[in-house]
Amino acid sequence: MNVGSCALALLVVFALGLGPMAPVVFAQEKASELENLKKQMLQMEEQFRQLQRQIEKLEKQAAPPGAASQPQAADPALQKKIQEVESKADAALAATKKTFASQFNPSLSLAIDTIGSYKSNAQGFNPGDGTGTRDAGGRINNTRPAGADFNLRTAELFISADVDPFTRAYAVINASADANLGANDEATLSVEEAAIVTTRLPYNLTVRGGRFFADFGTLPHRHTHDLPFVDRPPSIDTFIGGESQTNGVEVSWLAPTPFYLRASGTVGNKLGADTRDGVTNDNSRPIRGLTYMGRLQTYFDINDDNNVELGGSIAEAPNAEDVTNSGRFERRLVGMDFKYRWYPLGYGVRQSLTVAGEILHDVGDADPINGGPRRDVFGNPVRQGAWGGYVYAEYRLSKQWRPGFRFDYFQLQSEPLLVTNLFSNQPASTLNATGHRTDNRTWSPYLTWFPSEFQRLRLQFNRSDRGNAQDANEVFLQWTVFLGSHAHGFSERE
Amino acid sequence: MTQRLHNLLCGLVLVAAFLASGTASAEDKIYIVTSLPDLADIAARIGGDLVTVESLAKGIEDPHGVPIKPSFVPKLNRAQVLIVMGLEYEHSWIPALVTESRNSRIIKGNVGYIDVSLKVTPKEIPTDLSRAKGELHPAGNPHFNLDPEAGRLIAQTIAEGLTLNFPQHRTTFEANLKTFLSQLDAKIREWEQMAKPLKGVKFISYHADFTYFADRFGMEYVGTIELKPGIEPTAAHLVELVQNMKTEGVKVVIREPHFSEKVPNQIAAQVNGQVVKLPIMVGGAPEVKTYFDLIEYNLRTLLKAAQAAGVAGKV
Repeated sequence: MNVGSCALALLVVFALGLGPMAPVVFAQEKASELENLKKQMLQMEEQFRQLQRQIEKLEKQAAPPGAASQPQAADPALQKKIQEVESKADAALAATKKTFASQFNPSLSLAIDTIGSYKSNAQGFNPGDGTGTRDAGGRINNTRPAGADFNLRTAELFISADVDPFTRAYAVINASADANLGANDEATLSVEEAAIVTTRLPYNLTVRGGRFFADFGTLPHRHTHDLPFVDRPPSIDTFIGGESQTNGVEVSWLAPTPFYLRASGTVGNKLGADTRDGVTNDNSRPIRGLTYMGRLQTYFDINDDNNVELGGSIAEAPNAEDVTNSGRFERRLVGMDFKYRWYPLGYGVRQSLTVAGEILHDVGDADPINGGPRRDVFGNPVRQGAWGGYVYAEYRLSKQWRPGFRFDYFQLQSEPLLVTNLFSNQPASTLNATGHRTDNRTWSPYLTWFPSEFQRLRLQFNRSDRGNAQDANEVFLQWTVFLGSHAHGFSERE
Repeated sequence: MTQRLHNLLCGLVLVAAFLASGTASAEDKIYIVTSLPDLADIAARIGGDLVTVESLAKGIEDPHGVPIKPSFVPKLNRAQVLIVMGLEYEHSWIPALVTESRNSRIIKGNVGYIDVSLKVTPKEIPTDLSRAKGELHPAGNPHFNLDPEAGRLIAQTIAEGLTLNFPQHRTTFEANLKTFLSQLDAKIREWEQMAKPLKGVKFISYHADFTYFADRFGMEYVGTIELKPGIEPTAAHLVELVQNMKTEGVKVVIREPHFSEKVPNQIAAQVNGQVVKLPIMVGGAPEVKTYFDLIEYNLRTLLKAAQAAGVAGKV
């Protein structure tokens, strides 16, 4: 009796021990081996139960009441079998205890984003820096004719892991974008983000440092393949300069309120991945030459199915340096954003509506041609503001299909070549006091198809009405896949 | 402007601090947040009067696709304990929210994070981890809550987890667990009786939600409408599925509430069977208010459908 229950207990211990081990052992052989072992053990367990019952029966019949029952030797064949099972189980357990140098490798994922496009006009929006030749109407001529293009926009590697109990870190390496300004056709490699983030600070504080996409607006800090459209809204692209990348430090705080309220403050070299107004990461600068950013955002559930998110952002560069033209200027960019979602809980995964937008106001005195504070032909300083923004609506028809429409509008701060110096009758290189702004509008219907969570195809049409460059029609077909974990972080939520 | 911004920020901090102090003093009970409503129901039973429990997801939602709502963040920030199903059930939303909540107590691996799958033996552990197999759960099928025997393990894990967090209330938790388990045991005996005609009944469902449930009550899972977990069906797959159902004599099509009724209805019509809408969580149907209701409602509804389809056995 004792031997029987002892062995049974042993078997149960093994069974329990192997149960939780199972998820660790992924290899097919291992799993099937374990499966067989489990089956064998279950059979053994049943045999033991039968044996036990028999013994109990015998005991009742044979043992005189009160006499101590002698442990009976189990069947030697059965004992041999137990030994076999034990040694197999030991071997299986030992096999799971291997260690690998790679065990602490960070998690990896890769996004491949490729785009085929046809453009009726290859010249983009006129950046207002005086480049390009003009047609009779003063509009910028095409530098390239219309045409088709295949573009491997990103092959983006995302790496992340905990560093220690106090910090985590991540990096986004765009490993294979098409070569810029082709000296050769080799892929270029760039570090889009590489940042360290604290995880255990008190008072709901988090500090992030390194190179990261600064907390400004909603879409500016999304990677291009994570945008709801093929291209970044032209207003955001123009005002921010690509993604909201900065080298700097950010402190963010979650208010201990019953509703969601988050504030952040960032100090960085500059805002935007592209070089804008001649500001670069290259030179050191006075403290006032840095860019200071802040953001406040909140969220409300109107009811279970409807919710609204609101945010405001500011970026201020009191005395930024234009390295290209060796001058200094000031700039302030203010943004407001909203997002409304109808996401009916019962079938939200299949059907939902998102309406969202951002509006930006950019004011400053940068002179993209001469550097330094902009002056009119009389030598008076000129500060000029410009508005821009986008709004889009996307309706999810099913888990797979999402049509949407985006409208984008922005003004350019300067249009230098259209202004003539009153005295010399030559084109003035800077704006006159009346100013001349150009409006740019883009209408973009698009349709996204998700064959699965990890694959996406998107067709988009852009009709661009450009104030100081020739209008254009563009068609894009984007094909994106995600390898690896592709876990959505909080800031990439839909 | 900078001064104004500074004033605004200071004001906000003050308002926030005020609100925070107000809410903190009102909270004498232990605040527990759970991912799914089943866990909230069981945790409320174990915690009794000592706890306030809130579930982030509602019973009618797709538990794999719960939206990452920022309103969940302050709840997780205040949570003293977070209870999750585990087995990657909530992988698409809970980890991101926990990180944003800045509450190190409820980070996975810390004492405030209670994973109720720990005692459960997972089924359908994939032997070949590839995305070609769909949106797999590497640790196994996570829908164990529909097996009432797993309900026992969930309750035990929650009681142990709460005791680890609040050892001063051990006796209360243990007493409440005992009461819960004895009620559950009585119910399980009742349900086993009730489920006898369902033995051997063959069925399909939209997603593989009913594996543990079917195994417990002796039903046979023939297939899913989804091509692979999380992947919508292709036409070829549906043709094959219907063919298979005809060969096997399958007449019952289970639809989970968050899936559309179109395809299940079409399939049922083709095999001359019955579509039955079964919740997979507490709150998934208006009548299903507790964990006990969930199991009972599913058995009762399924039984009715099986009888209507003429596939239910005799008792």
